Amino acid sequence: MSDRTLRVAICVLAAAGAAIAGYLLYERWTGGPLICSSGGCETVQNSRYSKIAGVPVALLGLLAYAGIFVTGLLRTELARAVGAALAVSGLAFALYLVYVQNSKIHAWCQWCLASDAILAVLAVLTVVRLLREPEPLAVAAPVARPQARAPQRRR
Amino acid sequence: MSKGARIRQQRVQAPQRSGAKRVKTPTPPGQPPSRRNLYLGVLGAVILLAIVLVGASVLSSRSSSSPKTASISSAAATAKLLAGIHQRGTTLGNPGAPVTMQEFADIQCPGCDQYMTTAFPDIVRKYIRTGKVKVEWNGIAFIGPDSEKGLRFVNAAGHQNRLWNVAELLYRNQGQENSGWVTNELLRSAGAAVPGLDVNRVEQEANGAAVNRQMAAAANLYSEYGFNQTPSFAIGPTGGTLQPFNPSSYSVGSFAPTFDKYIQQSKQ
Repeated sequence: MSDRTLRVAICVLAAAGAAIAGYLLYERWTGGPLICSSGGCETVQNSRYSKIAGVPVALLGLLAYAGIFVTGLLRTELARAVGAALAVSGLAFALYLVYVQNSKIHAWCQWCLASDAILAVLAVLTVVRLLREPEPLAVAAPVARPQARAPQRRR
Repeated sequence: MSKGARIRQQRVQAPQRSGAKRVKTPTPPGQPPSRRNLYLGVLGAVILLAIVLVGASVLSSRSSSSPKTASISSAAATAKLLAGIHQRGTTLGNPGAPVTMQEFADIQCPGCDQYMTTAFPDIVRKYIRTGKVKVEWNGIAFIGPDSEKGLRFVNAAGHQNRLWNVAELLYRNQGQENSGWVTNELLRSAGAAVPGLDVNRVEQEANGAAVNRQMAAAANLYSEYGFNQTPSFAIGPTGGTLQPFNPSSYSVGSFAPTFDKYIQQSKQ
């Protein structure tokens, strides 16, 4: 898989994750009902674990996905490192939230689980991208020089 | 050495140079860090971020619950009884259940306590958890001030889809009628014992307009049925007309024939 393919996949997945986080955030702020067949989405969304120091977890997710998306656009070593750090730490936090849903809230949020799955794939892709040797930046083809005239012999 | 000999020697040495091992040199200042340092940096950032996020979440969830200032019994049993069952607002159970039961209850009434601690757990296990019956809570406050105080807290917990956990816990910790047993400490402790409930938010919303509307609607429905005691029940097909139901005793056996009748009707 080329670096370009990896970056496209990372950007597409980050955009999908951001869309889910944005939807959860929108419904939270407007108080609208969530589309959810398990019935647990609103329970999780309204639980005391849905905020950290007053900041909705969905907002943190949205910011993380936005950050990963931006790192996918860039080709620098720093962008690869930041992207991997965001995705892997996000996945670690997501696993903690899966534990919370199962053991503390006793309810499952399908949107959150979908986001967790996206984060898991993103973590793999960003780490693969980080571990690969960076591709050299494209070098402009040398401009053909006009052939030097042969020195004319003075008569 | 002649010019020709020098050129031949250079041609022979050139491949040897390109195939020679690279000698690592220390990264000069101002140059990008080595890959090993980069990996270590990423690993450190991951560990730090994960610890900060999980730690902040744990602390934040603790601060939004309450210190346990009153002892609450049966918290684990209640959580286990209702774990995984769909709750939305005042309703407990599968939204598509073929049978609906409306319950009219006062937090202080001893009969409601008897029903909620004897028949209700069996009804949950046999009919609600299996998706056959859903129950709607209609809280009535007519015994005294403790009734309204407790009911407001219960109804506000419904905004977080945890009404039935709080109601069941209050019945399992019920005190003497109008003795002032529904204290703020008891309510906060009951709320803190409910998985995932934001107790501060429940307290804020307990005296809000939404809870006022809920209480008025329940009181109107209670009058429409012509009930004059709690607990009272109405049972019927979901989406159809519910009929007042007077159980012979507070056991699942007295409810079962009526539930089964409507379940059978829904299959025909």
